[in-house]
Amino acid sequence: MTVTSNESGLSESLEDYLETILLLSSKSEHAFARVRDIASARNVSAASVSSALKRLADMGLVNYVQREYITLTPKGRDAANRVYARHRILTRFFREILDLPLETAERDACSMEHSLSQQTMDRLVRFFEFLSVSPPGPGNFVELFHKYLFAHDKLAEKTQPVRQALDKPVKVERESLTVYDLKPGEFGKVTKVTASGAIRQRLIDMGVIPGTRVKMERLAPAGEPVWIVLDGIHLSLRRHEAEAVLIEQESGRD
Amino acid sequence: MPSENKNQVYRIALAGNPNSGKTTIFNALTGAHQHVGNYPGVTVERRAGEFTIKGHKVQVVDLPGTYSLSSYSPEEKIAQEELLGNRFDAVVVVVDSLALRRSLVFLAQIMQTGANPVLCLNMSDEADKAGLRIDVPQLRKLLGFPVVRTVGHKASGLDHLRQAILEAIKHPVRKSRLVLGRRMEDAIVRVCKPLQDTGQYRNAIKWVATRLLVDDDYFVQRVRMMGQAGIEAVSMAAQERQRIESDTGIDIRMFLSQRYYGFVDGLLAEVITRHPNDNARAVSNAIDRVLANRIMGFPIFIVILYGIFWLTFTAGAPPMEWIASGFSLLGHWISGFWPAGSHSALKSLLVDGIIGGVGGVLVFVPNILLLFFGLALLEDTGYMARAAFLMDRIMHKFGLHGQSFIPMITGFGCSVPAIMATRTLENERDRLTTMMVIPLMSCGARLPIWMLLIPAFFPQVWRAPMLFFIYAFGVIMALLMAKLLRKTVLKGDDAPFVMELPPYRMPTLKAVLMKMWEETWMYIKKAGTIILGVSIVMWFISSYPKKHHYVVDREVAAGTVHLSQAEIRHRRAAEDLSYSIAGRIGRFLEPAIRPLGFDWRIGTAIIGAFAAKEVFVSQMGIIYSLGETNEHSKGLRSTLAHEYSPLVGFSLMLFMLLTAPCMATVAATRKESGSWRWALFQLFGLTALAYTVSLVVYQVGRLFLT
Repeated sequence: MTVTSNESGLSESLEDYLETILLLSSKSEHAFARVRDIASARNVSAASVSSALKRLADMGLVNYVQREYITLTPKGRDAANRVYARHRILTRFFREILDLPLETAERDACSMEHSLSQQTMDRLVRFFEFLSVSPPGPGNFVELFHKYLFAHDKLAEKTQPVRQALDKPVKVERESLTVYDLKPGEFGKVTKVTASGAIRQRLIDMGVIPGTRVKMERLAPAGEPVWIVLDGIHLSLRRHEAEAVLIEQESGRD
Repeated sequence: MPSENKNQVYRIALAGNPNSGKTTIFNALTGAHQHVGNYPGVTVERRAGEFTIKGHKVQVVDLPGTYSLSSYSPEEKIAQEELLGNRFDAVVVVVDSLALRRSLVFLAQIMQTGANPVLCLNMSDEADKAGLRIDVPQLRKLLGFPVVRTVGHKASGLDHLRQAILEAIKHPVRKSRLVLGRRMEDAIVRVCKPLQDTGQYRNAIKWVATRLLVDDDYFVQRVRMMGQAGIEAVSMAAQERQRIESDTGIDIRMFLSQRYYGFVDGLLAEVITRHPNDNARAVSNAIDRVLANRIMGFPIFIVILYGIFWLTFTAGAPPMEWIASGFSLLGHWISGFWPAGSHSALKSLLVDGIIGGVGGVLVFVPNILLLFFGLALLEDTGYMARAAFLMDRIMHKFGLHGQSFIPMITGFGCSVPAIMATRTLENERDRLTTMMVIPLMSCGARLPIWMLLIPAFFPQVWRAPMLFFIYAFGVIMALLMAKLLRKTVLKGDDAPFVMELPPYRMPTLKAVLMKMWEETWMYIKKAGTIILGVSIVMWFISSYPKKHHYVVDREVAAGTVHLSQAEIRHRRAAEDLSYSIAGRIGRFLEPAIRPLGFDWRIGTAIIGAFAAKEVFVSQMGIIYSLGETNEHSKGLRSTLAHEYSPLVGFSLMLFMLLTAPCMATVAATRKESGSWRWALFQLFGLTALAYTVSLVVYQVGRLFLT
């Protein structure tokens, strides 16, 4: 089972890429992944990462611009979360029910997550729920489980917390501050410029590059544009431009 | 190359960021010896001039002000083409001493092009005041080429600058000491190898290699066409780019700019002996706390605008009358060469056609002068950028740019310079949208129309609100039409707004007067050329063919009417005009404009207004045979009030506000947009708009008023 096409219409390897990007971005400070990191995480060459990213970008699952930072599109995030949720369910099943060592659980989850059908996955989730929720009672264990399945609509409410725990997507949108979040008089240090094309070039030309200290001076009457100061230069940015400049808040006078 | 031949003409260029005072330096260097033109095919201004030093003639080209040499905007492309295409004997890089870090990145780029640079630390007085100390000899030593301090608007340091230019010409330094770090330099060298084989870009080879590395489309396209070596260079650049990006995890453009900043920061660490104190901009910041204030900024802006219009129209009134009576005297004087009551065609051409037409336009010169004085003042103090900051949210809502506001305001003066002022907009779509809607701003030439029509149709208390309404309605229509254009024919992404807000500066009278005069001269030239020609055409079509038998004469002879001599004369003149080509066109159009409430007389005057808006007034005067009339003419006003209802007057005002721009505007749009397509689109689009609005207003109004 190497390059199977499964329910999501993605090959196993592409699903793995999505998952890797999701995990890297959740670890990274600013919700993106880098080619280099993906390559080392997947233990493949940068070139094959590029070609996979290209295919994912064509499918509208990742933003792959400027050959630099890779982010998931909303569609891609959904797909990645689905894959990752399966991964976690399987891992927990192997760990908590079958009591396998973490390494084995992870490895087997990795290879199973792509090949199981959605229906089988659902049943597995139900079984997991059943084991954790249903009080032990008299009767055949398998029959009890089937009764549980039959009645699962009624139980749905009760089991919600467990399902949520299982399905809860990884929170990718780390609260990252942008220049627009600064209040007048506050300072920040540029960590990243996420704009692309002409706007990116213009910001760079104006000295908006990582490490630069920015002060929010004021907002226009309508809340935008904003007026910032950096390097002694006063600049005015529209809201979407200010939001494309990620910062770390810094303390400062004023 | 450095030659002792005194007759040799040297060529240098001035390069620099916008707001670096580059043009002030250019003016100070060349004085009156300059010519302003346009780069072929684009909307960017080209300034060139010359000066002499120690018997050497030096020609200067003022490159468009840009923040970098990347090729996103037409200005950046032109600056590149000039630098790479011409082997300038020296390139003076003018920088704002208080924006040194960013400016020196630009210098670094210029150094890469293989130019022979001279660094001009401009606005050094402001830097001194801010407490900044730069070790100029040390900077010079590190860079290896001349560095001078100047204060452009005080013309100080210019002798040193001229000296430095001459020195640079005599001892050129084309091998730059720029280092961008091992990784970048290695990549550049590797791309340079195949690039060298193309035999192109000899001096600028490092620059071109760098641009290929950052995947600059402009260069990639060009180099790819240079045969096998070119293709090799492009693919080598792609390879190196990939290597750098995967090694560093940073995209190449950011990486490059970090390398530039690395170089500049290293330089600055060695030459800045004292940093500017934090309150360097204290005064400017204090002013901004009021003028750019979130609450007060807006009302103050309105007051400032009102002030400029008050200056334009109130202070401009007396000289306007002097000019008007001057032309009237001139007319009388010329008439004196013919016997009284003569019907000489030449006399009529001179007095009615030329003096009437051209005089009618030149009367507005005082207004135009004052308006441009005000606008130049706003621009040179730095307030214009604040206006753009305050206005951008609103303008952007309608698909325009905060800076569109400046040309649009200029449109209150005259559409022609306003359309020319759209050059300040970086993005073509922003530029075109602004250009298309500018004629909806009620221009100075339409003021006489309002001055004639409003008192004719509305009682005293209504007049001021009516005038305000007309101006406001024009602005609202301009914004709505801009939105419509951006949703249809001009849809697309926004250009970057990212705009610099320079500190407030005390403008110099000389610079303000110069700007004011340049714009006004453009207006006068329009009067002397297009208006002159059209005046003659208009005079002809409203005078010929001549009628020989008048209805009024027959009626008087038959005794059916009893009229005074004067009344007979007026009736004859009216019959003449009705019989003329203009009258015939007017009558031909009458069925089409009847639903708007207009008759053939108004139609004839509207045709005249296409020549120049204010011609409408004199044309109405001629049609009603009132002799010489202007917007203050009581006779014409009472005739109009007698002939038409206020509803027709209102419909007419809306039509004149929105309809086809004058011929000069069409010509300006043609020139600035670079195609007849846009000019004709504007012409017919606005006429259709005017027709629709007047039709609805007149027809709906009739329902309520009868």
